[in-house]
Amino acid sequence: MIDLVEVFERAETGPLTSETDYYMKRYVPKLAELITRHKIKWDNETIINADDDLTDRVFQAAVDLLAEAGAYCPETNRVMEFTREEILLACSQAPKGATFGERRERKTMYGRRPDTTDDRPWVHVGGGIYTTDEQIFVDTVEKMASFNIVDSVSVPSILHLRGKDARVRSPQEILSACKTVRLAREGIRRSGRAGMPIINGISAASQPASMFAATYPEFGLRPSDGFLIDFLSEMVVGYEALQKVAFYNSISANIGSTSTPLFGGYAGGAEGVAVTATCYMIMGNLIMRGSYHYNAPLHSKLHLSSTKPLIWAIAMSNAAIGRNMGYPMVNLPYLGGGSGTKQYHYEMACYMLAVVTSGGNVFSGHPAMAVQSDSLVPDDHKFHAEIGLAAAKLTRAQAEPLAQKLFPLFGDKLKDPDKGFTFQEVYDMKTKRIVNKDYQRAMDEVRDELAGMGLEVPVS
Amino acid sequence: MGDEGIFEQLKQSIVDQDEDAVLEAVNKALADGVDPKTIIDKGLLPGLNVIGEQFENEDIFLPELMQAAKAFQAAMAILEPKIKEAGGDGQKKGIIVLGTVKGDLHSIGKNILKLLFETSGFEVHDLGIDVDLFKFIDKAGEVNADIIAISALLTTTLIGQRDVIDALKDQGTREKYKVIVGGGATTEEWADTIGADGWAGTAYEAVNLANRLVS
Repeated sequence: MIDLVEVFERAETGPLTSETDYYMKRYVPKLAELITRHKIKWDNETIINADDDLTDRVFQAAVDLLAEAGAYCPETNRVMEFTREEILLACSQAPKGATFGERRERKTMYGRRPDTTDDRPWVHVGGGIYTTDEQIFVDTVEKMASFNIVDSVSVPSILHLRGKDARVRSPQEILSACKTVRLAREGIRRSGRAGMPIINGISAASQPASMFAATYPEFGLRPSDGFLIDFLSEMVVGYEALQKVAFYNSISANIGSTSTPLFGGYAGGAEGVAVTATCYMIMGNLIMRGSYHYNAPLHSKLHLSSTKPLIWAIAMSNAAIGRNMGYPMVNLPYLGGGSGTKQYHYEMACYMLAVVTSGGNVFSGHPAMAVQSDSLVPDDHKFHAEIGLAAAKLTRAQAEPLAQKLFPLFGDKLKDPDKGFTFQEVYDMKTKRIVNKDYQRAMDEVRDELAGMGLEVPVS
Repeated sequence: MGDEGIFEQLKQSIVDQDEDAVLEAVNKALADGVDPKTIIDKGLLPGLNVIGEQFENEDIFLPELMQAAKAFQAAMAILEPKIKEAGGDGQKKGIIVLGTVKGDLHSIGKNILKLLFETSGFEVHDLGIDVDLFKFIDKAGEVNADIIAISALLTTTLIGQRDVIDALKDQGTREKYKVIVGGGATTEEWADTIGADGWAGTAYEAVNLANRLVS
């Protein structure tokens, strides 16, 4: 694989072009051409594709997209170009596993192939964009980490300091980021699993300075945690991302390459999102030297990822990478329904059936309006991890009819989703036991309904 | 071909996002003596309405919207000088200053909004991303804007929307402009809290909001 400094050099030496021209003369027409060239078509009905030939064509289109359109560096106004040989070599040398955590909690997340039914996928829970009140932050993290099926957590963001908002790029943001990781580690320690990894480092940091500051070992993060570096806009690799790449590679930390291709944006519809999401995973390995990928395609208007074409595209990108590259992946679902609602559980079950059978690991999801304070309810995440583990026993072909039964239960509600619960509404604040009967009933009923459909979800 | 035929040709060429065909139809209409304002009202805008509906229904996406907007802008580059020569006002519904707040580098949602504003007949001054709050205010004053539209995707950048409104109040110019906010991290409640004139959850809703505010 070409070395990292050479990757950085490509941002200094590639062809000069404006961002608009990059999109309108390179990325957009090339993506359209590749979709035609490789005969990639969503049939408007399938949720979980099981056609391996189509899957492999999506992978080829993703390789071609990077080889023929390149990536864009806005700071230098240059296209970062890579040859097909460089890309394919990077794919062949991509990590097949990423090891996280310390001592007894030290484990490896593996890249999975579609239709693998005899393994136990990595189980990750939590979410980073929840803005949780710091009074319950530690309780929330402790509860998530205490679930015995969980291998790693994403921790919410604390965005307040002395009762005020921490503005992006401010010194307060640095303090918030440091406080977030310090309290998160404390919550994990209280769960009795001190070595458990946090793999969404660092949720409260938007700028490199905040990430690097909060990485200082005294605050409790370690290279064996996971640090997220994201592509900001379609195919854009900015200096801030490259600065993080330089730093986290220098300390040999686990890097989670992260991407959010937008359905309805430059990537277009289902086919474009499938190809672009796959391309991001290739770029995550080649450009960011990622250890694992955070795949988070999103609908540009609904701000969620549970529409039928999006679930198809997300599952397709997992299968394309799972069959051709083996890079470990988790998928971050944004769901319409609020925490604890039946809609939320149906969406998660449909999404989990699609991505886990297609090669993804298990990752619980966000409500789409996750910015609502204190909307991270840990027992949702436990239930969704249990659904993911149940889905891992199925092939894509077995999962498709279940997904088709689930979709009508929430599809019409995505534009006006059900409101959910907060942490305080669900739990007794002293014992942290569930006391909200409506919350418990919704979960129990969905578990029974899934069993009725043929998906037994045992309580862990 | 009668006027109705040329209007249909104008509309269809916009729907097809075919810039060459749009320009050919515009030039033909002008050669036939059709009034430039009528070319816009009966040919181009009906085409843009179809494009807007197709975008809303997810029959087309951002790239197609950009192509249609580019074709429309090419036509307007020919028509606007002729309208001004004839003493017309250029047909703009209103003037909008648009940008993503300081510290926020997200652009796609804002770019979609820009195109929908433009194709709905607004004059748009796009300040881009990571925009200093006083740039919003200075530009609004410079172009005599009707609306300042501010996007923020991140929870940590929301404050920038409030700052623009607070600075307008401090300068005594708050009442000169309608301020609308949107973006992934925003809510209607947030817009009310900071004293914005409106909030939109989608780009399409933002256009409807702007139409109401300038009507």
